Amino acid sequence: MTPARRGDPDPVPPAAPPRPAGPPPAAGPELVPWQRITVDVPGLEFEARPPSQYAFDFPDSECEGWSTDRLTLRFASVRGAKHRYYRQPRQDAARAAVHEATGSIVFAVADGVSSAAESHQGAVEACRAAVERILYLLDRGAERLDGADVAAHAAERLRELARWRLGVAVPQAAEVARLYATTLVAGVVRAAGDALEAEVFRIGDSGAWLLDRAGGGYHPLFGGKAVPGTPLVSNEVSPLPLVPDRPETAVERLAEPWTLLVGTDGFGDPLGEGDGRVGELFASQLASPPTPLWLGHVLDFTRETFDDDRTLLAIWPRAEGAR
Amino acid sequence: MAEAKGVLLPAYVVADESGSMAPYQRELGDGVASLCEGLRAEPMVAAKLRLAVLGFSDDVQVRLAVADMRTETTVPRLVIRGVTNYRALFEDLLVRIPGDVKWLRGEGYRVHRPVVFLLSDGQPTDGSSWHAPHAELTDRDRTPTAPNIIACGLGDARAQTMVDVATRPEFAFLAKSGTDVGRAISEFFHSLTMSLVASGHALNSANPQLVVNRPDQFTMAIDEVGR
Repeated sequence: MTPARRGDPDPVPPAAPPRPAGPPPAAGPELVPWQRITVDVPGLEFEARPPSQYAFDFPDSECEGWSTDRLTLRFASVRGAKHRYYRQPRQDAARAAVHEATGSIVFAVADGVSSAAESHQGAVEACRAAVERILYLLDRGAERLDGADVAAHAAERLRELARWRLGVAVPQAAEVARLYATTLVAGVVRAAGDALEAEVFRIGDSGAWLLDRAGGGYHPLFGGKAVPGTPLVSNEVSPLPLVPDRPETAVERLAEPWTLLVGTDGFGDPLGEGDGRVGELFASQLASPPTPLWLGHVLDFTRETFDDDRTLLAIWPRAEGAR
Repeated sequence: MAEAKGVLLPAYVVADESGSMAPYQRELGDGVASLCEGLRAEPMVAAKLRLAVLGFSDDVQVRLAVADMRTETTVPRLVIRGVTNYRALFEDLLVRIPGDVKWLRGEGYRVHRPVVFLLSDGQPTDGSSWHAPHAELTDRDRTPTAPNIIACGLGDARAQTMVDVATRPEFAFLAKSGTDVGRAISEFFHSLTMSLVASGHALNSANPQLVVNRPDQFTMAIDEVGR
């Protein structure tokens, strides 16, 4: 018998989440390809164009999914219609890891600023740096997540990239931003006694919510985009490499029937308060963990004017019987 | 905020229809037509814009009410008439813009701060009486839907006036001395189309800046002030 690896004390994998009733479709000529999901008025339909030649390392879509003893993770990130049309790479990114010593899930989601020349790379590197730093802090036994420390680490990664790219020892902040500016929302879900607790911080306007799977409501962990005192909205953000002294932070218990959602504004803008068709779609599709590919398919819904990249990461607490 | 059908940028093209523009009526017509065609060629951008075309002179007349350019088939026609009354213009915008924003929100959209592109070939004929309604229009405390204003002057228009009308110094442009006015009008509409397309890209992203391209044949008016 192959010995269990570190962090995998039980060689038996977690039970699969509930699946739709009925047998899965059998292979054969009757199989119907997934049709794109339309919400209200669809956007323009067209075959995606390739991103520029050196953006080959940033695929149109990516997804991830696995479970630990107590948690189930899914994420998907899809290129928006605007970028598919105008030959831009996906500028969103997400990364997640299990902290093996504690079974905590560490995650990061980033939305590269479109005016930054290499924001697709900035978003991925910010996620990588944030996840690495949070894993390190958990190894050190940090009881609370220091969002400023993690963000500073991610910003330093962007500066390192700029140093390498520009061939200068100390790139100016504006030069780093011009190349790699990105939002970042990152955090951890971990045990707090018998309970589970989510700690999330953000730089910029990416969002996080708790989805009430019983009632279908969305509880935002951060503020929205309304301009105070006006009926207008604004997307203005202060992205990395800028690091505020105290990033917005939220700490919430994660218990049934709640699911933690973390997403870029490509998801948050069409969601709004979650009381419309998009909210209904995701509440139904996230009632139990979907397959990672199906999450990507749902996330790739079409609705006119909502043409930004979309990234959504979701973490469910696992029911006792499913472990 | 509740789920929205989309997030829109209301854009107002405001053209001077005073008598001094009469020699350039063809360029004005061609410019408006090219703007409409340019937006129809960019359906993904046009989906996020609502365009209005207003002609101003003694009063303001609507040549195109706030429209979705993907489906709008008429080409608005500007009509030469009267003098250059800025007060009438800004008093009209003070009522029109909040009303349009309210209407769009009522239709289920979220709305970005509106933008006004003004083209004028002369000095205001109403002295300084336009200052008060302009100040109210652009004061975000008194007018929460206060627009960004890009002002382009040609002919007899003065640099200082364009700077006073625009909401930021870098939003004020003046046709270069000696420039053919008809060509400057064509450049204004070309630049306007480019600005709207670029802004349409940027506004729903994490970098929401209004993109304003300086028209060829124009200089920054702030550079001309005091010369």
